[in-house]
Amino acid sequence: MTENVVSTVDLKKYFTSRKGVVKAVDGVNLSVAAGQVFGFLGPNGAGKTTTLRMLNTLLVPDSGQALVAGFDVLKDPGAVRCRFGYVGQSGGSDRPATGREDLVLQGRLYGMSKAEASSRAAELIDLLDLTDFADRIVYTYSGGQRRRLDVALGIMHRPQVLFLDEPTTGLDPQNRANLWKQIGKLKATGTTIFLTTHYLEEADILSDYLAIMDYGHIVAEGTPQQLKRQVSLDTIRVTLGDPAQNPAAAQVLEGLKVVKSSVLEQDCLRISVDNGEAALPQVMKALDGKDIAISNISLSTASLDDVFLEKTGRSLRDTEAEGGDR
Amino acid sequence: MKVLVDIRLMFVRKMKETLRNPIYILSSLLTPILYLALFAPLLKNLIPNTTNVLNVFVPGLLVIIAFLGGLFVGYNMIDEVRNGVVERFRVTPTSRFALLAGRVLRDMVNILVIVTVFVLISLPFGFRPDLGGFFVFVPLLCMMIITTSSFGNALGLILRDEDRLSPIVQGINLPVLLLSGMLLPMELAPTWLQVIAHFNPAYYVVEAGRLLVAGHITDIKVGEAYLFMVPLTILVVTWATRAFRNAIA
Repeated sequence: MTENVVSTVDLKKYFTSRKGVVKAVDGVNLSVAAGQVFGFLGPNGAGKTTTLRMLNTLLVPDSGQALVAGFDVLKDPGAVRCRFGYVGQSGGSDRPATGREDLVLQGRLYGMSKAEASSRAAELIDLLDLTDFADRIVYTYSGGQRRRLDVALGIMHRPQVLFLDEPTTGLDPQNRANLWKQIGKLKATGTTIFLTTHYLEEADILSDYLAIMDYGHIVAEGTPQQLKRQVSLDTIRVTLGDPAQNPAAAQVLEGLKVVKSSVLEQDCLRISVDNGEAALPQVMKALDGKDIAISNISLSTASLDDVFLEKTGRSLRDTEAEGGDR
Repeated sequence: MKVLVDIRLMFVRKMKETLRNPIYILSSLLTPILYLALFAPLLKNLIPNTTNVLNVFVPGLLVIIAFLGGLFVGYNMIDEVRNGVVERFRVTPTSRFALLAGRVLRDMVNILVIVTVFVLISLPFGFRPDLGGFFVFVPLLCMMIITTSSFGNALGLILRDEDRLSPIVQGINLPVLLLSGMLLPMELAPTWLQVIAHFNPAYYVVEAGRLLVAGHITDIKVGEAYLFMVPLTILVVTWATRAFRNAIA
């Protein structure tokens, strides 16, 4: 059994606004195993950030319990603070300082000696590819460069868990891909990563385990694969060189173990399978073995949006305009 | 001790910021120099029973430098809240008091430099302070800076928005200046105005400053100023530290 780095029991936080009580977080139970990338997916305003702010000691929960690295956030916030790293939505790097100065300061605030902080800063500058600009004033950084420095600040003290709140929001696709690469490197060092995001693709690519949140509740959790399997099967579409062979092809495919069903749609065969990537070569091989020529074949996999739609009745892509994050 | 280390780290961080952009110090000198050059000459025939007009006028300007230098630091605080810097420090085990004290100490050093430079500039104009009295005046100025800088920083942290901060600091700025007797001594004011002035910390410090610069160290008004400023400073710093502890920034 793996040890949980973060766990919550029935965590709640309500806010009173002029419009009434907002149940920002309404009974959240989470367990994050050590060493994994835990994705926390949901639309803006779902309560992801509020949950995170209770875990990182910035907000006091109304009720429930939260443990981070084995310590209770309410009873022992000091011990908790030494053991997690946090990169907020607006970053946190000090604009008038150089990246290196800021890293050293961060280490010193966690109690490192000057020498220790300097060598750790050099290590992170190397790890996160900050070398070219580490000694420049942060004001001059691009958005992507600043984001990487923010992440470096978050792991300066070698935390057991790193909280990343919407780490790639506002980054262009190239910088986003770069940050994903850096997050991959951090994972390789054994750091547990807890990240919130409202990007489906990001959650899918980065997470080992995923919880989907909506209106203060966790609506689904599992590995991205498990979640997608739950709601829909992958689909393979095959178009044959000679449409007359369609019935024969259908017969061959029905005989394969991986194929759940096949339907003839206009000129193409639509085959539902459990795991599209594994099934695709088998389908091709089986048809080839019967000398049936394929003119076109495509695979579409189930997406996390299908999962969100299934669980909430709304598409995550449509919720973007619903309002700011809490 | 951890808190002292933290204060030093936060102070050095802000001090580096000043040293990278020392133009701030020069720009803060402009207003008092304009007063000195363009307003002080008007006072010559106005103030009765004075041999040295600048000994009356310069202490008032020094109090204003201290007062304004601290009051407007909230804008910088808002900037740091917005960039997530404050939040980043608040999730570290850094002492909350150090988060405030580092900033306030930097402001104090900045403003004391401005005060020193301004005094040196005033000397050729005819400012002749009593040295002993001046050194009793400096702690009063320091308390003024600590009070306004703590207040300004906490206000920025609580309001987190320039549009909400501006009316408050502007609303405090002008009445405090007008009721401090900084431009003209409050002795010239009608009684009701003098009564209101007695609720103004700047008034006590200006009055004490004038006496101290003239060498009247044992005057009762000097004691009054200390009696007013010491509790006020403690009160405001305590309140500001609580704001740093509680704020959701």
